[in-house]
Amino acid sequence: MEKIVDTRGLTCPEPVILTKKALEEATELLVLADNDEAVENIRRLANRMGCAVDVARGEEGGFRIRLSRSGEASPSEGTDIGIVCGAAKERGTPLVIVLSSDRLGRGNDELGEVLMRSFVHTLLTLEPRPATIIFYNTGVRLATRESALIDDLRQLEAAGVGLFVCGTCVNYFGLKEQLGAGIISNMYDIAATMTGAGKLVIP
Amino acid sequence: MNGDGEWEVALFLSVHHALRAEKLLKKAEIPCKLIPVPRHLSSDCGVCLRFAPPLRSQVEAALAGRVDIGAIHPL
Repeated sequence: MEKIVDTRGLTCPEPVILTKKALEEATELLVLADNDEAVENIRRLANRMGCAVDVARGEEGGFRIRLSRSGEASPSEGTDIGIVCGAAKERGTPLVIVLSSDRLGRGNDELGEVLMRSFVHTLLTLEPRPATIIFYNTGVRLATRESALIDDLRQLEAAGVGLFVCGTCVNYFGLKEQLGAGIISNMYDIAATMTGAGKLVIP
Repeated sequence: MNGDGEWEVALFLSVHHALRAEKLLKKAEIPCKLIPVPRHLSSDCGVCLRFAPPLRSQVEAALAGRVDIGAIHPL
């Protein structure tokens, strides 16, 4: 059955992230989009994931993007999404936060964990919300199901914050099965997101 | 999740007290969450335990004689 993903009104990189998530569960997808940037990012995603893509103009000036994934094409092979959020950059200054450790600050480990939990919880109330949070090194542990802040991360994700989790790091720590939020990303996307950030916060 | 009146928070004398209280409540399987002390309650960089108001008596019982609760406030 064809699944519908409505990305209208969302800002980059939300449309392509939602599409990727949906493609991991469905083989036939109809994506509604309202801007060229989303269409281009989704087209790029489809190409990398080996999906057939057909873009048509919708009734109200938007786009209707049909994606179909063949049986052999595995979504996990297409982790290099190559998201470009140029327009978003012009609109404002996307805030990107990098969590490179599962603790905030150096010194006392127990305290560092408490501070990290407080920090991530506070992000929910922050204005403007971060566009993306990147997790690498031991930071990826924060995005596992057993993590004390998984609920906060899921709320952030539901609010449209992109959570990029370093695939190399997840692999290194053997945490792939335990991942509870975010999408597995690679250094191309991570480096591009960091260098393309209007404001980069590495606490 | 962060709405008015949905939660109560227990404040403690120190971060150590808060952490000990969290461990006790987890052990007693009382759902709670360690969060930064809301700005309107204190300007200190502290942590407190958030729980659903109906659990208040359970929280107090689980901590009685073990960890002193500084104060309980509605959020």
